[in-house]
Amino acid sequence: MSAPTTTRGKVARWALNVYAALGLAYLFVPIAWIVMFSFNEPRGNYNIVWQRFTLDNWRDPFSDEGLTDAFVRSLQIAAISTSVAVVLGSMIAIGLARYSFRGSGPLNFLLVLPLTTPEIVIGSSLAALFLDWDVTRGFTTVVIAHIMFQVSFVALTVRARVRGFDWTLEQAAQDLGATPFRTFWTVTFPLILPGILAAALLSFALSIDDFIITLFNAGSLSTFPIYIDGSFRVRFPPQVNVLATTILVFSVAMMAIGLLWGLRDRRRNR
Amino acid sequence: MSAPRNNPGRGRGRPIGRGPLTRRQLLARAGALGATGLSLPALLAACGGDDGNGTAATTAPPGTDPATTDAPANGGGDELFFENWTAYIDPTEDGEVGTVDRFVEATGIQMRYSEAINSNNEYFARIQPVLGRGERIDPDIIAPTGWMAGRLINLGWCDPLPLDQVPNAANLVEGLRNPTWDPTGEYSLPWQAGFAGIAYNIDITGRELTSIDDLFDPEFAGQIGINTEMRDTIGLIAMSLGIDIENLESFDDAAPAFERLEAAKDAGQIRRFHGNDYFDDLTNGNFAACIGWSGDVAQLAMDNPAVRFAFPESGGTSWADTMIMPAGAVNRDAAAKWMDFVYDPEQAAQITAWVGYVSPVQGVREALMDIDPELAENPLVFPDDETVAMTQSFASLSDDVEEEYDAAFSRIIGA
Amino acid sequence: MTTAVEGSPHRADGGRSELLGLAALLGAGLLLAAVGARWISGPLVPLALALVLAAVVAVIWTAVAGSPESKRRIAPYGLLKPGMLWLALFYLAPLITLLRSSLSTRPSRFAVDFTFDWNLGNYTTAFTDFAPQFGRAFLYAGSATVLTILIGFPLAYVIAFRGGRFKTLLLGLVVIPFFTSYLIRTIAWRSLLADTGQVVQLFDTLRISGILETVGVMDNGRVLNTPAAVIGGLTYNFLPFMILPIYVSLEKVDPRLVDAAQDLYSTAFQSFRKVVVPLALPGVFAGTLLTFIPAAGDFVNALYLGSPNTTMIGNSIQDQFLVQSNVPLASAMSFVLMLIITVFVFVYSRFFGTEDLT
Repeated sequence: MSAPTTTRGKVARWALNVYAALGLAYLFVPIAWIVMFSFNEPRGNYNIVWQRFTLDNWRDPFSDEGLTDAFVRSLQIAAISTSVAVVLGSMIAIGLARYSFRGSGPLNFLLVLPLTTPEIVIGSSLAALFLDWDVTRGFTTVVIAHIMFQVSFVALTVRARVRGFDWTLEQAAQDLGATPFRTFWTVTFPLILPGILAAALLSFALSIDDFIITLFNAGSLSTFPIYIDGSFRVRFPPQVNVLATTILVFSVAMMAIGLLWGLRDRRRNR
Repeated sequence: MSAPRNNPGRGRGRPIGRGPLTRRQLLARAGALGATGLSLPALLAACGGDDGNGTAATTAPPGTDPATTDAPANGGGDELFFENWTAYIDPTEDGEVGTVDRFVEATGIQMRYSEAINSNNEYFARIQPVLGRGERIDPDIIAPTGWMAGRLINLGWCDPLPLDQVPNAANLVEGLRNPTWDPTGEYSLPWQAGFAGIAYNIDITGRELTSIDDLFDPEFAGQIGINTEMRDTIGLIAMSLGIDIENLESFDDAAPAFERLEAAKDAGQIRRFHGNDYFDDLTNGNFAACIGWSGDVAQLAMDNPAVRFAFPESGGTSWADTMIMPAGAVNRDAAAKWMDFVYDPEQAAQITAWVGYVSPVQGVREALMDIDPELAENPLVFPDDETVAMTQSFASLSDDVEEEYDAAFSRIIGA
Repeated sequence: MTTAVEGSPHRADGGRSELLGLAALLGAGLLLAAVGARWISGPLVPLALALVLAAVVAVIWTAVAGSPESKRRIAPYGLLKPGMLWLALFYLAPLITLLRSSLSTRPSRFAVDFTFDWNLGNYTTAFTDFAPQFGRAFLYAGSATVLTILIGFPLAYVIAFRGGRFKTLLLGLVVIPFFTSYLIRTIAWRSLLADTGQVVQLFDTLRISGILETVGVMDNGRVLNTPAAVIGGLTYNFLPFMILPIYVSLEKVDPRLVDAAQDLYSTAFQSFRKVVVPLALPGVFAGTLLTFIPAAGDFVNALYLGSPNTTMIGNSIQDQFLVQSNVPLASAMSFVLMLIITVFVFVYSRFFGTEDLT
């Protein structure tokens, strides 16, 4: 863009930048609070008033047994549901992006629907279904629910990534005598893998973080968010902040690795 | 056991996920599928043994004696499971060994203690679909408030307690024997009792609060918390209006209390309706005052002397949370040992010293003299005649009337 | 060459297998949804499930043993099938069950099974007793959506056109809040907005409390437990959902176009209005849906940041379903919420929409 020449233009430009910077800062206010309070030494049961700096919480991140249990359970749920959803969702994405076929429009629509349905409707309708089936809600039902919303998410994310994919490569490999199976593993899969990994990371995060749908389908099962919600009535230990910060740092690291990987690939392809 | 129930003996008490199936369980499920014809819901029900809940019970093949698929009467689980309210027992911390750990050490019984109850209604909504189908929930012991225990007993969703194995049950205080919710006393054993009254932060109010009218004082507009436990909130307000809450019979009897509450809500007097989640708002000064429970405030005041508890002039409400065994609970022997353990005055005193509520066990005061003599003199923990005279407990309502009360109350809460 | 292929038996074979694939997918999906929703019951259930199985087998069989052309034609249906069947069973069937449960009656207060008797009473109650909650849900969600546009658009604009080398980094920063728990972020606001919290202190220091009182953001020196806090929480939590789609739209805009427009129209504002805004509209459209829909059904913000007079319909559904165990009433409210949102999405797409919803 050409730089504005008038003073007014410069001021306007500067003002817009400041406004955007404030907007970005707004996004980080609670994040900063969460990280900061992981270093707080609370008085009483609630870690919400700053007392003084300590590293104790980080030395002992698993001291709240119920919280740790719930956290581990959330990781398990996310691991199982993400594995299933990534397979189902990627298959859909490849099917939709690779081929043009009859009925792809309506099927596409069905895929988008779960993402445009309020969580409370998804949660309550699944719970109504499980009630109707006389199924006790717990671990399995939460996994089922998570797979449900993750499938759509993975399918759309992966599809967006493979849209620009050059499918003639597949054809070329097959013309050179590769079996379809080999073609997939050696040509197609490596190319769509970054998209799948990105979708897996995001849907893993969605699963760990999900509260509304999970609450309706958990019965007496306690996941990380459900435990925090329940225990917030009587306590909010700094370990919550420690674990939340850990998830944050881990996700950011994964994202950074992904970015660097992407940069490397781009350079190599140049 | 009151009624025979089909309990497939799952390995239970495993906190996470599902463990491997034993061959017998697998066969039981396969049989279930064959007998009912393959239906998808049943298939899922049979596979979904979450946390060891007896989900396959409804599909058990007819003619199968539950006893043959069930584990031995007392060995169905390897772990006693007690589901209680939050912050309601002394934990192991600061060099002190908590009651649960003392019990485990004394008896060798493994125990899972969970603080899963936050509200009677919410907890009921969670267990209702399971118990209502005649299936078993995980916990062997739960501790709802008396009126909720009464509802569960009336619905037939409780087993009688193995009181013959609980000699210390004789230590139950006179006043809590044969309560209205359990006239024969065979289904329930109180856990703790207490009072509801006004909890306030004197830093914010600037004065002592003495009556329910203070909660409706415009000076505190938007700074008042009101309890979602209907019997405490409506009970206290009704008493302030001169209504006898021990003998409520119809909705109209308490209607003025509902009207007063609704008017206050519409006027913006109430900041938030709360369950047992009022500690932080009260200590931080977001609440000037709220309807709190005696023991909680005793605990809070240790950290923050500005937090006070008072009975309104018109009187406070009293209640008891009580241990019951949900129907089909498997660890009866272990449950009996637990109840016996916590009804030992020495042990009960440890709990009282930590929770600050009224113990249902005789002899606790004497035992507490050594641990915490100051607490032993506290009339909120060991109510004297004067305190008892100041409190009433809410009438036991018939189902229909209770429904009217609940509907009106939940409409005001507005959620 | 082309005519030869069209006339070949393989071609016809392929067309047949395409039809087979589509029929098998739709048929199996509908059957499974019907079984899940218990429209099919009793002895018909094994039959229906056998048909679903047959449809799966037929597709696999064609994919393995068919001609190359039919393999190619059937492949997409085979790939879509597992995921779509999952959605049929755990998305469509639950919605049907929800509808049926909303038209049911509880035979007694503590009954587990409901009687389906076309009971419209639940809907009457939903509309009469819970009208304020519906109203607030849409009012708060709408306000939050407008605020996310006001905050998110300039931010997306700056990242897209002025990000330069740091574009990816800045975009990463926008996404980072996603990776901390939604619930904990909301609890963080609860602490920040408390009467003695940092936000109120900031307002006092800046001496803008008076103004904020006048415009209704503050109430008697309080922010927490006011409508403003709930709207603020919704705005915060859904802001990234607005920024990202707008950014994606803006990124497609060629900066030279903006330059050319600036030459043409002479002022930055005009070029912005005539060129950037129209091109960004698809992003704003997608962002609006991604923000408004979840916000309208949210109950977490109203629960943690609101008061008894700010409850939204999500709170009512949660309360009726999970606390009062009045599942039929909760189902009716849930269904109405979905209907209103569907109508909203439909109307909105007709007026502002683009084809590219996804």
